[in-house]
Amino acid sequence: MSYSSQQYTARRQQNWGRNQNTTRYVSNVKLGPVAHTVLVALMITVLGLIYLTQATRATSYDYEIDRIDSKISELAVQKENLEIENARLTSLNTVKNSTVAAEMTSPAHVSYTQ
Amino acid sequence: MKLELQQGSRSRILMGLVLVVVIIYIGRLFYLQVIRHDYYTLQADVEQLKSRVIPAKRGLIYAMDGNTPVPLVMNQSVYTVFADPQIIKNDAAVAKVINEVAGGNTRSNFESLLAKKDTRYQILATKLTHMQAEKLKEKNLLGIGFHEETQRVYPEGTLASQALGFVNAEGNGNYGVEAALNERLSGIDGQLRTVTDVRDVPLTIGDQNIHIPAKDGDNIVLSIDRNVQSYAEDALKRGLDKAGATQGSVLVMNPNNGQVLAMANYPTYDPAKFSEVQDAALFNNAIISAPYEPASVIKTFTIATGIDRGVITPQSTYVNTDSIRVYDATIRNAYPGLTGTRTMQDVLDNSLNTGTVTVAQRLGDGTNINRQARDTMYDYFYNRFGLGHGTGIELANESAGLVISPEQQEGNAVRYSNMTFGQGLNVTMIQVAAGFSAVVSGGNYYQPTVVAGTLGEDGKTVNGKEPRIVRQSVSAATSETMRTMLHNARQSVNYMRDADKKGYTIGGKTGTAETLKNGAYVKSETVGTYLGYGGKDTPEYVIMVQVAAPNRNLEGGLHASPIFTDVSNWMIDYLSIPPKG
Repeated sequence: MSYSSQQYTARRQQNWGRNQNTTRYVSNVKLGPVAHTVLVALMITVLGLIYLTQATRATSYDYEIDRIDSKISELAVQKENLEIENARLTSLNTVKNSTVAAEMTSPAHVSYTQ
Repeated sequence: MKLELQQGSRSRILMGLVLVVVIIYIGRLFYLQVIRHDYYTLQADVEQLKSRVIPAKRGLIYAMDGNTPVPLVMNQSVYTVFADPQIIKNDAAVAKVINEVAGGNTRSNFESLLAKKDTRYQILATKLTHMQAEKLKEKNLLGIGFHEETQRVYPEGTLASQALGFVNAEGNGNYGVEAALNERLSGIDGQLRTVTDVRDVPLTIGDQNIHIPAKDGDNIVLSIDRNVQSYAEDALKRGLDKAGATQGSVLVMNPNNGQVLAMANYPTYDPAKFSEVQDAALFNNAIISAPYEPASVIKTFTIATGIDRGVITPQSTYVNTDSIRVYDATIRNAYPGLTGTRTMQDVLDNSLNTGTVTVAQRLGDGTNINRQARDTMYDYFYNRFGLGHGTGIELANESAGLVISPEQQEGNAVRYSNMTFGQGLNVTMIQVAAGFSAVVSGGNYYQPTVVAGTLGEDGKTVNGKEPRIVRQSVSAATSETMRTMLHNARQSVNYMRDADKKGYTIGGKTGTAETLKNGAYVKSETVGTYLGYGGKDTPEYVIMVQVAAPNRNLEGGLHASPIFTDVSNWMIDYLSIPPKG
């Protein structure tokens, strides 16, 4: 032990520069082993709570993602249906049977500009 | 030295107890998490990890409308409603709601299905729209579930149905483009592997999550123009009714790039109701899958071969005696009486079989259809014009047909004499029209295709594919000569000449084929064909028409040609081709 202490002192002396003040603070509060255990347990609890909070928040984002995905799917289906409706309304059969088409006549003569 | 516990302090005893409990916990945890790690991981995965396939959307199929792609085949989400009869308490109330919302889609006996309390799954209604399904879901009926599926819908109805094909209940393409391009249309399914909660909501926690997005199928744009297709179908039906024919086909091609503009067949079917079709033959696209002997339209190829080989010109003559002897067979003209010295133009104008046999003889030693003549004919017919083997068009079930090689015993002089006027070989309309396109459009044989490209990102443009020249079938000079000869041939028939629009170059050739029954040709049933082109100076389109009916004599000139004329005159207007002069 004494050998070790002497070596420690020697290192400090080597590392400290000249004229530097060194202060050693010693707390008046002494914690016993039970207090240490309680503190460690509290720290673990706090860390656990933080983890749980983050995990819960991530899960809430998952629900949000799921909700948005469902909405996207629903809108995609609606878009799909509207496109089909549009295609049906502009299909040849619809156009042929339209009132506009019924009033059209074939040209008697066609002239082409050169 | 005594242990601290032995010193009797209560706190030390408590610490000791805690230590023991902690050691027990650690031991237990070690057992559960390390020793039984694999077992519990597996149990957890089974319960929490869910794998599901993200289905790729099947690609849509478009046709052209001029230069604009328009949808022919689309996807629609539809819903199947099922029930768990054991959960449903008030059958009448549930039945009433389902009847109100999905009356037209319910199974005929669905009320009685609800009464089957010993079952857990009964399908009550099928093919509900999204709106119907949403209305039902809003009712929150206990014991009622929904299953979503996708079905193909056809905004243009039956248009080009045999070219399109259909998608069966397993999601696989059958016939037509749906089958031929099934892989491209299907896309690649994605995969989702994720931890889920009790409600099956995917969670991002977990280090084993996999999300591979689906790759949707290509949206294919066909070269088929819906206006040309529609007109061709209508003209075919009108022509068949007028001729008293029961079946027929019209093929319209662009000879300058090999693209098919229309493929019309009659009778046809509704692809949306493919499961109701009784006769599976209706699914076949006769233009690509029904080889036949097209008769005299093949004379075009024989004359082109002779001109290209330099053994004849349009003015070359021979003495027509209405029959010609080839070994033990006598070949006769279908329309006798034009005996004497005849030119090759006369041969085409009057469809003289003896003339084309003479051409074949001149491909050899001048008097016999020897091996050299047959080899030359085979080279032109099979290799250059593409007869007797699949064209590779993007349609399922294409038939190869048959052109017998001179190397085979059956490939003798008699057969080859018959082949000069379209008998003794089996070819499809697409083969004949593609070869004819090469003959009249400068000699280049373009790969026949029904695909113009894929739909661009904006949904309006087409990422087109370049036309592919497969080979030079005949020289440009031969092609020009053939155009003139075919034009003259059409002009020589009064009713054809008078019906054509004036100021355009329109030419073609008739074909009337006897049919084979029980191995022998019968005269009581003939198939009429007309094959021609039209345009201002050079061909803008090629049209091939075929008409047939059981036990009826249908002719190329009288019955098929009017349909050609109808479509040809319309094409001139549709393509806005200005007249000459």
